[in-house]
Amino acid sequence: MTAISERSALVIGTGGLGGPALLTLAAAGVGRLVLMDADVVETSNLNRQPFFREADMGARKSAVAAERLRALRPDLQIEERDERFDAANAAGLVRGVDVVVDGSDNFATKFLANDAAVAAGKPLVHGGVLRTTAQIMTVVPGPAGCLRCLFEGPPPAEAMPANAEAGVLGALAGFAGALMAAEAVRLLSGERGAYVGRLLSFEARTARARLVMVRRREACPACAARPSAKAEAT
Amino acid sequence: MTLDPERTARYSRQLVIPAVGVDGQARLLEARVRVTGASAASVPGILYLALAGVGTLWIDDPEMVGPADSGHWLYPQESVGQPRAEVVAEALQARSRFIRVEPWRSEAMPTATLVLAPSTVQAVAAAETARRARLPHVVAEADGEGGTVVTVPLGAPCFACARSTGRTARPPTAGSAALSALAAEELVLLLAAPGAAQGRRIDLTRGVPSVRATARLAGCSCGEGAGAVSPAV
Repeated sequence: MTAISERSALVIGTGGLGGPALLTLAAAGVGRLVLMDADVVETSNLNRQPFFREADMGARKSAVAAERLRALRPDLQIEERDERFDAANAAGLVRGVDVVVDGSDNFATKFLANDAAVAAGKPLVHGGVLRTTAQIMTVVPGPAGCLRCLFEGPPPAEAMPANAEAGVLGALAGFAGALMAAEAVRLLSGERGAYVGRLLSFEARTARARLVMVRRREACPACAARPSAKAEAT
Repeated sequence: MTLDPERTARYSRQLVIPAVGVDGQARLLEARVRVTGASAASVPGILYLALAGVGTLWIDDPEMVGPADSGHWLYPQESVGQPRAEVVAEALQARSRFIRVEPWRSEAMPTATLVLAPSTVQAVAAAETARRARLPHVVAEADGEGGTVVTVPLGAPCFACARSTGRTARPPTAGSAALSALAAEELVLLLAAPGAAQGRRIDLTRGVPSVRATARLAGCSCGEGAGAVSPAV
């Protein structure tokens, strides 16, 4: 088994979910982190995004996050990318790491991350948080279902409120981001993930958690496109 | 209650949540919280209280930053050997001018407590201190890669009634950051809407939370005196 210090992770987003995920992965001793974010720090980020301070307003998020991580762990290999995760770079980025942690804030990126991870055969820890609810699910390409097996595709833009309208409970984002990183550490350590084939939904006011089983859907276009999909299905 | 434009902009993402709102945010900004324990496993929770806008944070930890803390969230390598409480206070004060973060001092008058103590003995003692002072409190107790968070609003069954036995302090894991943030989240909700909170215990087992109402043990002294209430089980 390869030591965790020799393993790598791609974290999409450095904000409410990606921030705590990166800090937790660094503290756990992961050897190389690829972080990406194309945004700048804004005032409304400061209730939940742990890397950023008032003095960082207007700064590039990826640069600030990388600087803070280097201060914490000078031995950590960091590749910072001031760009969006998109169709042009997705496959290459995912192929270059051992696990993908998706802390992005939009459905298009979440489905792109799912498709790229499934195609590359890399595990993906998916997460989302809105208002007082967080969701986490792990996709391990193969027998378990993926995000597209569960939801088929992104919801219409008008069906989902943006963070600015709906709000986010900051500490809940921290909880979810740290849980996502803990899951990535399990996978990097060779353990079975806690959310493989099941979606965890946690509502903060009631503290109720629900687990929804996610089975592989035969007609799923992402799973069917995998080179080894036919062999796995038989 | 109202907030000025700067605070409204800063906390806009939680002002629109019914569980917080403008009134809840104002209560958070007026709150004074004593945090017991600032080990590597504790700092995520402290950080999220600061980000949420808890007005005053007093960090109660007499230890120095040790090599095991280095690399964890707020503890860079060069902080090793410095007082944890001072390192945390300095790091968090730089994040917001709307809050005050200082090392704990005995004359301070908190309105709530977050217990993130590294050992069971310290956690029980800190929780009992909070109960006797009639302060709402939340206690996190790590156990391997998970643990337990117990929320104790005023009059609810105490931490000793709700906790498990037989736990010992363990080194921080990736799961302990999540537990610490969960404890902060519980205290934020408790402070923002104190009337809505009930005593409850959340167990985090291998990444999956489960909740139950806390129940008072027969004969526990937390059931004596004014303000003691029976939990709604």
